[in-house]
Amino acid sequence: MQGEEIIRVRDQSLAHLRRVHGDDAETLIADARYGFISGLMKEVMTKPAVARVTATDRIDSFVLNRWLGIPLFLLILYGVFQFTFTVSAPLIDLIDSGLGWLAERVVTVSPAWLGSLLSDGIIGGVGAVLAFIPVIFLLYIALSILEDTGYLARAAFVMDRLMHKIGLHGRSFVSLILGFGCSVPAIMSARTIENPSDRLVTIMVTPLMSCGARLPVYALLAGAFFTANRGLVVFGMYAIGVVLAILLAWFFRKRLVPGESGHFVMELPPYRLPTVASVAAHVWERGWAFLSRAGTIIFVVVLAIWALDYFNVLQHIGQAIAPIFAPAGFGQWQPAVALVFGILAKETVVGAFGTLFAGAEGTGGFAAVLGGQLGWTPLIAFAFMTMILLYTPCVAAIGTIKKETGSWKWTLFTVAYTFALGWVVATLIYQIGRLFI
Amino acid sequence: MTEKQITIALAGNPNSGKTTVFNNLTGARQHVGNWPGVTVEKKEGRLNFKGRRIRVVDLPGVYSLTAYSLDEVIARDFIVDESPDVVVDVVDAGNLERNIYLTVQLLEMGARVVIALNMMDVAASRGYRIDVPELSRLLGAPAVPMVAARNQGTPELLATILDVAEGNLPAAGMNLPYGRDVEEEIVKLEKVLADRPGATLYPPRWLAVKLLEDDREIVKKIRQV
Repeated sequence: MQGEEIIRVRDQSLAHLRRVHGDDAETLIADARYGFISGLMKEVMTKPAVARVTATDRIDSFVLNRWLGIPLFLLILYGVFQFTFTVSAPLIDLIDSGLGWLAERVVTVSPAWLGSLLSDGIIGGVGAVLAFIPVIFLLYIALSILEDTGYLARAAFVMDRLMHKIGLHGRSFVSLILGFGCSVPAIMSARTIENPSDRLVTIMVTPLMSCGARLPVYALLAGAFFTANRGLVVFGMYAIGVVLAILLAWFFRKRLVPGESGHFVMELPPYRLPTVASVAAHVWERGWAFLSRAGTIIFVVVLAIWALDYFNVLQHIGQAIAPIFAPAGFGQWQPAVALVFGILAKETVVGAFGTLFAGAEGTGGFAAVLGGQLGWTPLIAFAFMTMILLYTPCVAAIGTIKKETGSWKWTLFTVAYTFALGWVVATLIYQIGRLFI
Repeated sequence: MTEKQITIALAGNPNSGKTTVFNNLTGARQHVGNWPGVTVEKKEGRLNFKGRRIRVVDLPGVYSLTAYSLDEVIARDFIVDESPDVVVDVVDAGNLERNIYLTVQLLEMGARVVIALNMMDVAASRGYRIDVPELSRLLGAPAVPMVAARNQGTPELLATILDVAEGNLPAAGMNLPYGRDVEEEIVKLEKVLADRPGATLYPPRWLAVKLLEDDREIVKKIRQV
């Protein structure tokens, strides 16, 4: 490539960064250096108390405090889910009733199979997934703001101490937090971890972080069974994911891939007010992935579910698998089918429910259908949600694990252990919960 | 002696004690000239250590490695063009945070850096406690505490230089992460830089960063391709 062309590519990059951040790339790079250095200084130097205290120092004295840091992080995470669900609930209801209205109009289309395809398959299935757009986008807005202000870097810094104790590093935690968005970029971000053992373990536990695709499933079930406490229940899912990811990382690091842990500096960039353009760009980048999946893989999978159901094949498949899940409380053919197709893309669990229980409108409608037809209790819904959280990652994530580790052995191991973990935890929740409820 | 001569470059901020370190290393065997094409003084010295011949080139004292000043361009061109076996970065331990900015930039260039952590006495008198092994580990560059004004630490510095030059001590370096958005653009630029005919002396990642920083010397060089 000729020199002028390289400069043109460079100019596009500069324009893009300026649009997203409202700042020169030069400033961003200098900030990255200063962030690195201030993190380095915190780790290697102790100074006697200084007179000059910046606003960043003052905020950091709380946020990075040895005792306050982790509780504050959990509190902020909890706030994010409360915000996400409170604001999105009326929007979801609005979309739901709109889709319900539409489904009633098209169900009468003839021939009958076409009416069913349109109302049960497309509107019931794909629509059920699309109804959760507000939750997804609001969560992404909240995460992008936390990222752009510089808080996520602090969260990783705070977790660094804990991560060292389990033989990993704070940078692994950065990958885990990115896993809240989508496992695929999160797994790829483990490239910044130079130590191969640290990197492998990080990749193996990242799928346990609750990604955006699982959120519609929680939103549906928590909305149906835990109306009053849905924010808390969903926060619980995310917390279970984080805790298990850390516990398993510790276990894997000790038993499967021992060796010394790498050392890095945790960057501490100065706090910034996020720009609208930057948040919008990050939200769009993450949200677009969700929308395009809804139009492609989810669409195809939901249509496949509809077709198999229409020709009465699906029930037989589901009934063959369902007994496996009986100990966890959800041993019916519909959830079994949803779990199988969920491996293609986790959102399709909602799509599958939408198709199989077509006509159930809104989260209230699903509560009635799941409770009435399947006999689900809040306990079973909770166990099912933990299964969704923990079991086998979606094919896109599995493919990324293979690509990044270059090893079928570790990829298949991850596929297998996550399934076992999901099954065991869901079963424990159901069996122990039953004793009390 | 048949041993290959080792070339080391001495970098550091102004007032970091770089000249004192240079004098401690080379003694009277100094030679003063000019950098090619410019009227900036270039000092070189020689010494023998453990049977090796070592050539020491004193780079201009700089705070950073941008293209804004001639001194900075001279310093970084020497590191790229002459690829010295070791770059000794003289750091004022009493102003560690400000001085380490240059260290980070040297490491970004992929130089094999040894940190001469000078003025440890000043740092101690100000009550600063520096975890030197941790600093070395985190930067991927060995650091030698010294007090050049009292000629303390020179033998240790020389031994470390030799270890790095001969590959006995890995100077691992580090990859500074620039944030997700900037990293994406770096990857794009690295790719188009790799497609360019004719290899370059510069590490591609560093070149990409300099292009994004709109470094006028690098932009000029790329335009000429």
